[in-house]
Amino acid sequence: MSSATPGNRPLRFHWRLPYAGETSALAMADQSSAAAIGLPDPDLQTSFCRCAEESGIDSLLVDFGFAKPDPMLLAAILGRATKKIKFILAYRSGLFSPTMFVQQINTLSALIQGRILLNIVAGYSPEEQRAYGDFLSHDERYERTDEFLAVCRSFWEGDGEVNYSGKHYRIEKGSLKTPFAAPERKFPEIIIGGGSIAAQQLAIRQGTCWMQLADAPEKIQQSCSAALAKGIEAGLRVCLIARPTREEALQAAQALIAENDYSRKLAGGREFFARTDSVSFKKAYRLGDTEWLTPTLWTGAVRVQGPTAIALVGSPEEVASAILDYKTIGISQFILSGWPKLDEMAYFGRAVLPIIRQKEQEMACETGVAQQAAAEAGYKN
Amino acid sequence: MSLRFHWSLSQVGDKFRRANATADMKGLFSLETQVEFCRAAEQSGIESLLMAFGFTRPDPMALSAALGMQTDKIKFMIACRPGVMSPTVFVQQINTVSALTNGRVHINIVTGHSPHELRYYGDFLEHDQRYERTDEFLGVCRAFWGCEGEVNFRGKHYEVQNGRLNTPFVSSERSSPEIFLGGNSELAEQLAIKHAHCLWRFADTPGNLSSRVPRITESGIEVGLLVSIMVRPTREAAVRDAYAMVQSLAARQPQAFGKQFAQKTDSVAYRSTLELAEKSESDWLTPWLWTGAIPHLGAPAIALVGGPEEIASALMEYKRVGISQFLFMGWPDLDEMRYFGQEVLPLVREKEQTLDMVQQVRA
Repeated sequence: MSSATPGNRPLRFHWRLPYAGETSALAMADQSSAAAIGLPDPDLQTSFCRCAEESGIDSLLVDFGFAKPDPMLLAAILGRATKKIKFILAYRSGLFSPTMFVQQINTLSALIQGRILLNIVAGYSPEEQRAYGDFLSHDERYERTDEFLAVCRSFWEGDGEVNYSGKHYRIEKGSLKTPFAAPERKFPEIIIGGGSIAAQQLAIRQGTCWMQLADAPEKIQQSCSAALAKGIEAGLRVCLIARPTREEALQAAQALIAENDYSRKLAGGREFFARTDSVSFKKAYRLGDTEWLTPTLWTGAVRVQGPTAIALVGSPEEVASAILDYKTIGISQFILSGWPKLDEMAYFGRAVLPIIRQKEQEMACETGVAQQAAAEAGYKN
Repeated sequence: MSLRFHWSLSQVGDKFRRANATADMKGLFSLETQVEFCRAAEQSGIESLLMAFGFTRPDPMALSAALGMQTDKIKFMIACRPGVMSPTVFVQQINTVSALTNGRVHINIVTGHSPHELRYYGDFLEHDQRYERTDEFLGVCRAFWGCEGEVNFRGKHYEVQNGRLNTPFVSSERSSPEIFLGGNSELAEQLAIKHAHCLWRFADTPGNLSSRVPRITESGIEVGLLVSIMVRPTREAAVRDAYAMVQSLAARQPQAFGKQFAQKTDSVAYRSTLELAEKSESDWLTPWLWTGAIPHLGAPAIALVGGPEEIASALMEYKRVGISQFLFMGWPDLDEMRYFGQEVLPLVREKEQTLDMVQQVRA
């Protein structure tokens, strides 16, 4: 899958699945107290899935956390109600035996035709992890996640019994009868998120794609070169604020942070960032010092909306160009989100994506012409 | 209280349960066949379906969520082994299923009966330690279900700090799932009394049960029987089919599975039921309780065999010694379940009414 020439393949766009009661911007300070988020809303979420299918979205990110229903089970019912959309299930190691996890994923794959990607995260909140009985430190979590994925991949890719003896897991003659059922794949794509070196190494060893929070293209080019060199895809998590004109987009962005209660939300955000031990989340907070990282990349909402609120802001043309700039340096997948959630996604599908696809075709033609020219030149020589 | 009846979904499509070597089982399943089974169970007066857990099977939690979306009434008794996931995430998953099915979830806690299989899952604890861990696991789960605030727990196997979950157990009837726990050992009994609503045990004669059941029910929990069932229009037909099945099993599978399994298991329930079969002089512990299939199919194959009237009376005998729930398995499951719903259950309900009236008159 991770061919050496991702530049010729169309970019893949994923979106974050919203939860009940989460239709508008929701500051971090409010998220854990919003009881509605805890309840699945099959009707609302199914219609979001259908809209994603119509908007050219590849997969929907289903988060894991104490405030939300279980992602796997939510994906089971949403997948049964849809045909095409895939689900990126976010999980941490330390929650399941890897054998059990593979068994659940494989069962889900049989129920929804293998429309599953995994987003394995090492976790960002020591407090939340302790609520799940997980007391490991940042680096130990990466070590355990590495072992966890090694066991999972042995189940998926091996032919015989799984034997593993590590520091965190020990498996003896492991066997499962329910296979991962998907067209053309033996195991789900594994997206590894995280900004630390440990995360990057983990992606290279066990993943298929390394996903980072957005930064200026030159920074991203630098940080993802190692992963790309190893044949691992590179992806970006970024928000989108696209409006018919740049002025309208700027207004929408300002409106996000001009809402009432700004200082309370800011305090909630500050508390969140103080508690996290995630390298990339802390970096995102520091990036908030510079409001515009590029003419389209805005950090203004990070300190109230959270680390994943680094946003591409602009007209469809501007946003599309910015996205293609990332493609040029090797980025092949994006996990997007926006406010309001449904409208932003529909607008992306209607106004931004067609420009991207058009330009991708032009780029492919240019590459083709250049290659042909080079070939002809070679022939003449 | 009317008797409550549950059935095992685990082997849908497998005509002779456990007759195939586990190594040959495919783990693939047809959701349509299982939906059909669920609907038949709803029509047959079955309250819930056991969603078993094991390496040869699909995951019971995901399967229950999918089946729940296509059914209205049937409940899912989801089997879980502590030691395969964090209790917090277990509660989160059970609560998610409850929210999707309006609370049509029971849980069946199994501590595991095969050390070999437990190691597939990275679980290397001994029998007694597993019970100790199950105790802690249920302690954490029940704290999540029972408390308003944060969950804090510090044990030997689990430690949870300031635990909270935003997805509640959703049901119009209860604030937590009914907990079933299986086992014949002393430890299992104690654990069930401490944490569960009902203890499952393998069938035995009403006489043997009458000495053990009352002290458990007096502790405030129910006792249910896990038993196979083969009912035919007459006793002769049932007995004939029972022996025919054993013959065909013996032909297909010369080495007796039940005995092989008994050597590998550390479960008191599995061993004691096999011993019961071996020690008795005939295959018939009572005129309707048959042990003939146990050497081939293992302890769960202890079976009620007979005509509808006989079996209904047998169930009432169990009721009199304090048994209040049954978890059945049949050969083949679907036909047996339909026949039970049509022919046996109406007789049971009739007899229960009569019994109620007699008791009222006496009172």
